[in-house]
Amino acid sequence: MENSMKRRASLACAGAFMVFIAGSLLLLHPYSPTFPAVVQASDLDDPCSEAMVQLSTSGAASASGSVAGGDIVPVRSLADPYPSLHSVAVDPENNRVVMSDSNRGSVLFYERTSAGSSSKVTSPKWQVRGPATGMMFIAGVAMDPARHEVFAVNNDIGDRMEVFPYDEEGNVKPKRVLLVPHGAWGVSLNGARDELAISIEHINSVLVYRREAAGGEAPLRVIRGAQTGLADPHGIAFDVATNEILVSNHGNWAPLTQEEASEGGLQGGRFALPSITTFPAEAKGDVKPTRTIQGARTELNWPMGISVDTAHDEIAVASYGNNSILVFHRTDNGDAVPVRVIHGDRAGILGPMGVAIDSKNDELWVTNYRDHSAVVFPRAAEGNVAPKRILRNAPVGTPAVGFGNAGAVAYDSRREEILVPN
Amino acid sequence: MFARLANGNSGPVRVIEGQGTKLSRTMHGIAYDPLHDEMIVPVHLAGALLVFRGDAKGEEAPIRVIQGPHTGILRPETTALDLVHDEIYVGEDGGKDILVFPRNANGDVAPLRTIRGPKTGLDEVRGVAVDPVRNLLVVSSRSRKAPTGLFIFNRTDDGNVTPRAIIAGPRTGIVRIRQIVVDPEQGKIFVAVKNNKESYRWDAASPSPWNPDEPGFIGVWDITDNGDVLPRAVIKGLASGLVWPAGVALNSEDREIYTIDSVRNGMFTFHTPEFFRKKTN
Repeated sequence: MENSMKRRASLACAGAFMVFIAGSLLLLHPYSPTFPAVVQASDLDDPCSEAMVQLSTSGAASASGSVAGGDIVPVRSLADPYPSLHSVAVDPENNRVVMSDSNRGSVLFYERTSAGSSSKVTSPKWQVRGPATGMMFIAGVAMDPARHEVFAVNNDIGDRMEVFPYDEEGNVKPKRVLLVPHGAWGVSLNGARDELAISIEHINSVLVYRREAAGGEAPLRVIRGAQTGLADPHGIAFDVATNEILVSNHGNWAPLTQEEASEGGLQGGRFALPSITTFPAEAKGDVKPTRTIQGARTELNWPMGISVDTAHDEIAVASYGNNSILVFHRTDNGDAVPVRVIHGDRAGILGPMGVAIDSKNDELWVTNYRDHSAVVFPRAAEGNVAPKRILRNAPVGTPAVGFGNAGAVAYDSRREEILVPN
Repeated sequence: MFARLANGNSGPVRVIEGQGTKLSRTMHGIAYDPLHDEMIVPVHLAGALLVFRGDAKGEEAPIRVIQGPHTGILRPETTALDLVHDEIYVGEDGGKDILVFPRNANGDVAPLRTIRGPKTGLDEVRGVAVDPVRNLLVVSSRSRKAPTGLFIFNRTDDGNVTPRAIIAGPRTGIVRIRQIVVDPEQGKIFVAVKNNKESYRWDAASPSPWNPDEPGFIGVWDITDNGDVLPRAVIKGLASGLVWPAGVALNSEDREIYTIDSVRNGMFTFHTPEFFRKKTN
């Protein structure tokens, strides 16, 4: 096949991406810790963008060994150069807050009081990011105030949990790595039991490990089965005071295999209402939850992160689908009405993914996946109230692209729109 | 949903989200039906296929849901439409199969046809596409014990059938594979070759955990290709921005290829007129 490579990406481009930010064309090494995800080349006169191909229709190309195309520069690139805040954990003993960034595969450390009332961007005190960290599509985070460690689980890609010491910076190797099943979302630590619990979306399970588990170590216990009510589990809280595990569920369930589909009669996938299920800390196997908050009155809508406040006997849930924080009595059961809801245009909650109650300082933290911000409320805030502090990681009004390990794309030719399931 | 010309750090023009939509995470397929103005999305974690109005937004419910024990759906991974024969194709990784439904199917309905079984060679099905002109069906499948590549069947094949051709092997460059799309005008298969084989070189300067030696790419094959053959064309390399491309879509009118990259969390548009049939005015 005639391969007319009239213009090609030159060697000058090797090892670098073009990054177009605020009108400036930058060349950065692609794995630089500061590398934004944006790659763009609108100037086709730039030698790096010059690529031209001739696609054969002769039918002889593959046999002849020539391949058209090459290192073609995209004419447009859509990506978010800023972190997408996923989950949040607070350590009031050491005045630290940690947030996971599922966009750039990083963990961000802040001083607990670092958020303010201005529209300024708050830089993290420390940031762990880079190839050596092994972090990819990072989801839930937990903190160990006694041992000064942060636990972070990877969701749809990665399939592992990394542990980093506090105040680490940059492209550092994790202190420990634990291999976990595919689809881990939440992680929570129980220091008293020296255990940690991880929720796994894809296999509708909760796995409990030794706190120091590493490598291919097996879990101590697994909660899984039809009676558990676990259905696409997300947030998890391992409550030290009451010795319980609380889990938020989206309600999606489907058999994994033909064999599972045939168990107890033919089963197909199903949509259940979202729920909060509570189990004893020692629970294992196919056990019924001790309590289930579920029903139309709960207002649960894609419940994500969950946090327990044993001092006030309450649970806070980040309800992504209705941009709300829902607070329940810890012992609520059934179709319970939340005791408080934070919601409204003044609250600044948009796509809440993480929530953490700091009972020592009487505060409640929320990470906004769709707004490049975290907001801090008084613990007992209710209704359409403004946050007492806002932590921004991008200038006000910066769009949140929202990609998180997206896996498909389609083109809507009627509206000239590109469709991405996320 | 993003505007076609969206560039840089742009937000979506529409979002369908919330409990009422029945959407979830791990949606690795999507198809748009320009004839009936509908969107089709498989929901892996609920064993369902959802059909939305083309202009749906917010917490809007799907207009049709294919789900239930009679559908044979376990965990749908990918989907494609054949508007000539009015059918929906569903590919499954766990089910290792292709299920075919009438386009307007709704509820707990049995598939019209099922391709499944050891003769098919299918394992973790990641992509599906139809060529209604040549009456061929293309399936991308990943496996640890069988070929990973493109499996080409007759469009109306049913049961435990042997593929007409398999494009797989070291010359193809395919290590791991995802979404595919067919351009029936040319008889070309456009493939998101993700190659997401992680490489943990903790102490090396290499860009782990993604494997720098075998980055992903967009590959193009003829639908008549067979065996361990080079792609006809590729989009691959540092300047392309691609690391783990997971999805691919075509806009023949504007001669554009769209791809979504799951490591970079970015969407890339390539203007490649040479990849499309010449316009005749």
